[in-house]
Amino acid sequence: MGSLFSSSISLRKSVRIADDEFIQLRDFIYEKSGIFVDVKRKYLFESRFSKRLNELGLSNFADYLKYLKFDMKKAEELTTLFEMVTTNETSFCRDMKQLKAFQGNVLKEKIDEQRKTGKLELNIWSAGCSSGEEPYTLSILLHESLKMELPRWKITITAVDLSKAMIKRAQTGVYGDYAFKTTPDDIKAKYFKKDPEGWKINPEVQSLVKFQQMNLNDPLALKRVARSHIVFCRNVIIYFDESMKKKVVGSFYDNLLPGGYLMLGHSETLHKISQTFKPVYHPGTIAYKKEG
Amino acid sequence: MGIKRLDELTAGTVLASDLKASDGRLLFKADTELEERHIELLKRVGVAEADVKADAGDLSDETVRDIEDYVRDFFLYVDPEFEPSLQMFRIALDLTGSAVASGWVLPDISDRRASDVEHMEDLFLRGMGSPDTIVKHETELASFPDIYFRIKEVLEDESASAERIAKVVSTDMSLAAKLIKLVNSPLYGFPQSIDSISRAVALVGAKELSTLALGISAINYFKDIPPELVDMKSFWRHSITCGIFAKILAGTQIGLSPERFFIAGLLHDVGRLILFKKLPYASTEAMLFARENSIPLVEAERSIMDFCHTDVSQPLLQSWKFPEGLSDMINYHHSPMEFPNPLEPAIIHVADNLTNAVEIAQGGMYVLPGIDVQAWEILGIKADPLLRDAVDQYHEQIDIIMNAFF
Repeated sequence: MGSLFSSSISLRKSVRIADDEFIQLRDFIYEKSGIFVDVKRKYLFESRFSKRLNELGLSNFADYLKYLKFDMKKAEELTTLFEMVTTNETSFCRDMKQLKAFQGNVLKEKIDEQRKTGKLELNIWSAGCSSGEEPYTLSILLHESLKMELPRWKITITAVDLSKAMIKRAQTGVYGDYAFKTTPDDIKAKYFKKDPEGWKINPEVQSLVKFQQMNLNDPLALKRVARSHIVFCRNVIIYFDESMKKKVVGSFYDNLLPGGYLMLGHSETLHKISQTFKPVYHPGTIAYKKEG
Repeated sequence: MGIKRLDELTAGTVLASDLKASDGRLLFKADTELEERHIELLKRVGVAEADVKADAGDLSDETVRDIEDYVRDFFLYVDPEFEPSLQMFRIALDLTGSAVASGWVLPDISDRRASDVEHMEDLFLRGMGSPDTIVKHETELASFPDIYFRIKEVLEDESASAERIAKVVSTDMSLAAKLIKLVNSPLYGFPQSIDSISRAVALVGAKELSTLALGISAINYFKDIPPELVDMKSFWRHSITCGIFAKILAGTQIGLSPERFFIAGLLHDVGRLILFKKLPYASTEAMLFARENSIPLVEAERSIMDFCHTDVSQPLLQSWKFPEGLSDMINYHHSPMEFPNPLEPAIIHVADNLTNAVEIAQGGMYVLPGIDVQAWEILGIKADPLLRDAVDQYHEQIDIIMNAFF
């Protein structure tokens, strides 16, 4: 059978990135976001960025680097750049087992502690919240745990992400079916309303969450986050190299109140990164405790 | 792909069924590739239409572009200007083109993501299981089949007679049955059928047959992996495909015994099987991470678990006392140039990439892991037409070999 594809069809469709341009772009991304791009991803980069270069009418990566560094629109471009280097796979109640273990142990412990001292407040930091599924899930867990008692509590979930577009999407609180692939039906029915665009999160769940764009590589910005009882940072540090991981985890440590917990993604570990946290094992998850 | 009018037929179209004249006389058999003169003949005898196979030529320009984009996405880890990558790309395009022409629908992004990992539980918590401890847990728990060690013994005994080898292998009925099926498959292409193990030993060679038996008995060990974890059929299809390509590539080199390469290809991802057993959640997460981000599975494993399947195969094969040369091919298939004698692992390395390329048209979800330029160069072969020929041979062999195993 004859081939339909021209026998001279080329595999490269993208603008070529020279080795030194790749290194410059990689260093730039690392400096701005802490995300480390391995040289193995060079061709992946060519392919992803070529579309962007076309849109900007640039014919090579050297010009793109100039654009990133000196153009009037460089701040906006940075946002676009970040979106191209990270993916945002997430859904409501992702990793139910971990969340159940969190709710039944870590969250319960914190709620009981606060009740005992009479300070009915709780700060949770969702670092790398993507399009908002995680902080909204946490808000739902709090509604489920505190029920009628909730209005008496002062709860803040600070949800941050590198991408402005993600924060914007999170703030609208409307999700397509895909976001619910791991969500129990009763939770969906209780906390979401059908909307022409998909499913809209209930306002009382939304009201606990404060979104803001933030770069985890910006130590000053991290210091402005109110001190937390719990920090959630799932499936984010896998994008970082070891030194950046250490830096970010160190910031979480500083931010946490004594006795506070850091929660990571299911398969992530502080092994080799931090000895300061005490791992507390629960069936389904590990919580990292700041003792004191 | 259906009936075409005579005026729609072009040279190169392949008949799907026997083509008969109006009086019932057979004109051309199914699978005939029509040439211009055939079409002229059909016009003369007044045939109005023909049942033909799908032809990528029927696809719209838009579909062709979609296919190009779809296939190109699997080649993000290879040098786009490197000749073997380009050849594999063109092969994958043609295969995907004909799959789509036959009704296959290109999967969309959400298909790549769909998988539910919620019910899985890892035996080791993150950061607590090194490849060594994971393997130790496995090998202490389950004993390896006795037959494996008996075969190993005869394999290592230079003085073992063909008769003795045949006897050892024949003690395991299911193993013997699989071997017979295999040696009768196109993998060997013997003209006459072989009905006994002793005949197989005589024809294939004692050492080769024992190596084959050793590999098959190792596979048996993993037959209990629950299907909800991973589609074992596609896992083994990938492995057998890699084995076929490895054997063909080894055949281009002087002085290599191709059997060993079939077995090394067959077991090249054996480390993943241990990961499925011990870290089902983490390994599924790695699979999803790889699909969602279009990165090679081996990289995704390293991101999620800090190590990859070849880090696991190494202590595993050592504990099985697997023949060293074979172990090296398996352990270094992602990094052949790190091995002092890189030729053998380089063959598995290339075969694995080609396997990923042909799997694209079968709904494969993983990008090519990357072809090491130096590894290709030590093979000293030309990508064109060798790779295409290899793929043609693979198409003739794969179903029959799959059938011998499962």
